[in-house]
Amino acid sequence: MAQILQVEDVSKKFASRLAVNQLTLSISSGEIVGFLGPNGAGKTTAMRMICGFFPPSSGRILIDGVDIQQEPTTAKKMIGYLPETVSLYGDMRVVEYLNFVAAVKGVGFLSRAKAVKEKIEQCGLGDVSKRLIGRLSKGFKQRVGLAQALLGDPKLLVLDEPTSGLDPKQISDIRALIHGLKKDRAVLFSTHILPEVSMLCSRVVMLDQGRVLASGTVEELEAHLSEDFQIQVTILGRSKTTEAVHVLQGIEGLKDIHFVVAESEQVVLTCRAPAQLEFRNVITERLSKQGISVIEIKREQLTLEEIFLRLLK
Amino acid sequence: MKNILYLARKEFSSYFHTWQGVFLTLFFFLVSGLFFSLLILGYAKMSMGQMGEQLAQAGVNQTDYIFGSFFMNLSTLLIFIAPVLTMRGFAEERRDQTLELLFTYPLSDREIVLGKFLGQVWMFELLCVPLLGYGLVAQLAGADFDWRVVLLAFVGFWILGLAYLSLGFFISTLTKSPVLSAVATFGVFLIFWVLEWASKVSDGWIAQFFQEVSPLDHYRYFTMGQIHFQHAGYFVLTIFFFLTMSVMSISTRNWKSS
Repeated sequence: MAQILQVEDVSKKFASRLAVNQLTLSISSGEIVGFLGPNGAGKTTAMRMICGFFPPSSGRILIDGVDIQQEPTTAKKMIGYLPETVSLYGDMRVVEYLNFVAAVKGVGFLSRAKAVKEKIEQCGLGDVSKRLIGRLSKGFKQRVGLAQALLGDPKLLVLDEPTSGLDPKQISDIRALIHGLKKDRAVLFSTHILPEVSMLCSRVVMLDQGRVLASGTVEELEAHLSEDFQIQVTILGRSKTTEAVHVLQGIEGLKDIHFVVAESEQVVLTCRAPAQLEFRNVITERLSKQGISVIEIKREQLTLEEIFLRLLK
Repeated sequence: MKNILYLARKEFSSYFHTWQGVFLTLFFFLVSGLFFSLLILGYAKMSMGQMGEQLAQAGVNQTDYIFGSFFMNLSTLLIFIAPVLTMRGFAEERRDQTLELLFTYPLSDREIVLGKFLGQVWMFELLCVPLLGYGLVAQLAGADFDWRVVLLAFVGFWILGLAYLSLGFFISTLTKSPVLSAVATFGVFLIFWVLEWASKVSDGWIAQFFQEVSPLDHYRYFTMGQIHFQHAGYFVLTIFFFLTMSVMSISTRNWKSS
């Protein structure tokens, strides 16, 4: 798939402070990449460089193959940006503002009204399109911010904490909107809400102190972090507990086997298995052979929070 | 070029999103109209008495007395108007943090500066429109003006306005506070006003220096119906200098953290 964003060895230095340190990243069309990191990790600086707000101190950024420093106007036409603080012209009406943005983004005069109308509908702004932006609620302002980012149908969307400060309904709406946007474009978005990343992103890039701490899918990061993980096996029949423990002890690789009686006849056995072991079929097969009914086999999964905290350690 | 016009239109219309533009226009029309009426009445009174003969002997005609004084008074009024017009430029955008998005649109820094400046120039030109109307009304009422002088004075006022706007515009790129921008711009204009005064009370090379740097000394020639390359060049260079400085000022985001 075509790579829309290529960040190559990019650093940004402010006076003596290195805000971003040799960042390398690429995003293809159809991908949503989550940008994670504690406050001051360099996420916003990196996003501002990607959008051409200021240039990197070293390295280069390509938008669909176009170097943003060499051809800023061409590259910026392919970017839609929603900043962390969505500050819009409060004294303009929504439709008037979107028309202005469409014009400077190079949307032709004849197709401008249609493009603006389309984004207004897409972002659910129909009822407030004639209102002054300054009088809108935070949720609606965020939608106007998203609508302006979408104007010009950019190939790359850069969203800096798009759901921060919104109520749960608004968060859910914006998430659904973002999910629908990845179809024919690349999306890079930062957030503090980690489950949001698991929900929306195909990949995660974790930043700390300006450098990439880890990157990959949530599963890849988890596998990278834990050498082994915990398995929970729920069986039926308390009388079969000792037998089940023996079966598990007989499977190579499983260790730290314990059991607890959950409720009535159900017994939960726990053990640890190496990350690379395909354990599920083996356990089911061996226990079934002994006439033990298996109700459930669960693999403990690290949450993104746990991965994040472990990486930061 | 299109982008400059889009920005200029947004900037111009933003004056009328609040009452600021309306109040500013009304204030300017009221005060300039008052100046003009008083000068007409003053001239009428003088020309009927002994002073009329003295004026004639000194070679001061209707046009010189009325429009010469009128445009010099307008330059004083501009000291108050220009800071209010320019304080919105960048200071307000920096305060409201709206620049971040603007800088990520496909616009060059030069287009941003020229577009915003042009919007302010349109607003200033809107204020200038009725000035010629005053002359036409007086002409219809029986006055006899030398229109060549009037038009040159008008051009002089326009170019002085542009120079003042460019300076105020540059100052607005330096701060986040529109009020500070307006106060600082007003302060610099006061210095210009003092320079003109200083050039009159000093002599020798000091007087010459003050005359060269004072915009009002260059402007005075226009109000007298004279146009010289050096005076027009002074204003063109001033505008060019401050617009270039504005472009440089906004590009400092490249090395500052925000």
